[in-house]
Amino acid sequence: MSAGDSAAALEALEADLLLEGVARHWGFDLRSHARPLLLRRLRQHLREERLASFSALQARVLHDNEALEALLRTLSCAEPTLFTDVAFFQDFRARVVPVLRTWPSVRVWHVGCGTGEGTHALAILLHEEGLWSRCRLYASDACEGLLSDARTGVVPLPDAAAAARYVETGGKGRLSSWYTRDGDWAQLRPELRERIFFTQHNLATDGSFNEFQVVVCRDVLLAFDRTLHDRAHTRLHESLARFGFLCLGRKESLSRTPHAAAYEELEDTGRIFRRVT
Amino acid sequence: MSVGLLVVGAPRSAASDVEVLLSRLPALLPVPVVLVQHRGPLDALAAPLGRRCPLSVVEPDDKDDLVPGRVHLAPAGYHLLVDRGTVCLSVEPPEHGCRPSIDALFDSTADSHGASAAALLFAGHEDGLAGLGRLRSRGGRVAVVGEAEEAGVGPEVERLSLADVDGWLSRWVHLPRGRVSP
Repeated sequence: MSAGDSAAALEALEADLLLEGVARHWGFDLRSHARPLLLRRLRQHLREERLASFSALQARVLHDNEALEALLRTLSCAEPTLFTDVAFFQDFRARVVPVLRTWPSVRVWHVGCGTGEGTHALAILLHEEGLWSRCRLYASDACEGLLSDARTGVVPLPDAAAAARYVETGGKGRLSSWYTRDGDWAQLRPELRERIFFTQHNLATDGSFNEFQVVVCRDVLLAFDRTLHDRAHTRLHESLARFGFLCLGRKESLSRTPHAAAYEELEDTGRIFRRVT
Repeated sequence: MSVGLLVVGAPRSAASDVEVLLSRLPALLPVPVVLVQHRGPLDALAAPLGRRCPLSVVEPDDKDDLVPGRVHLAPAGYHLLVDRGTVCLSVEPPEHGCRPSIDALFDSTADSHGASAAALLFAGHEDGLAGLGRLRSRGGRVAVVGEAEEAGVGPEVERLSLADVDGWLSRWVHLPRGRVSP
């Protein structure tokens, strides 16, 4: 065994012990997360915290709630800005909104909202399409620290590129009319915030908490291994009303999940599915 | 010892060399190939690369299996990591300004395959150098394709010209006999 191999074996052992500790002490089970992605995030966290090993991180995380929050923050890879994925918002406007117009009330669940950029972008879209008064937008994340940021309704000030993306998605006004500037930050308008409900929910362990007409869960399940991924899809399936819409990331597939037959993919969209049974 | 995975990383400047490499891969290659080519969000790559390649070139979805004899191209906007026999996509921040990043692929290959992987890095970008070093330290077979002076690697890493790649590959990959050379 080379020196590189034995160092790697030790690192893998330390990672296992860290995950075991976090699961048993804090109830956050990261053991079923996709291993290569998790390892990369953990190593990134070590660099940011200037720690030498996962053992050192374990000692800190087990004794300090804030250290755990910091770790969970690093693990999150939610959208960093408003209207990150232009194609998704275009498809949502063109293909989902017309159907939502025919329904008297719409509950939307944004899974893995992180610090809320994607949630607020969705809220702006629904408001512009005249649906906001009959919508309730639930946004959830496993990490309470990220949620408390999201609840403030403050996001990094959108740059010119974000404003251009907003126009490209079919934005009907000016993006800057949706927030007031405060230095490098943007405070979103109160009428957006009053219909968004941020709630702590861990897709890995918690059950379904409502029935929704739209579930947006984009690039969140990438973090899970196949077993947990399939279980999470069972949660989403239980939470989605018949004929409701499930929006996944551009490279996420339903084809090998237990619920593949329950959905139809909307043609020519980046992975928007409709529950048919 | 033969390897079970071939990973290839290439900066934009090497795009035409990658096309040549793919066109010369044996049609009966018994291992999966994973390719990270630096790309913009709207570059269509799989179809043009696939036209001249005897293997099929696909952009896999998350958690798809790695299939022997198939080229798995990292999709725009995602890092492609390998998790033993499956693909793991990631939307982590870009590395060296790139997503997909070559380091991300090589690092995960070092973790999940180690000595049973072979890696080719086309010279011309800093992305991939660190990952190549880590894969090498885990026993992986690595080489850099391109001009030595721009490669940015130490003398311990093998350097190849594009013409040498076939020979290098046949050292690590068992090729079925009787194949017809193109």
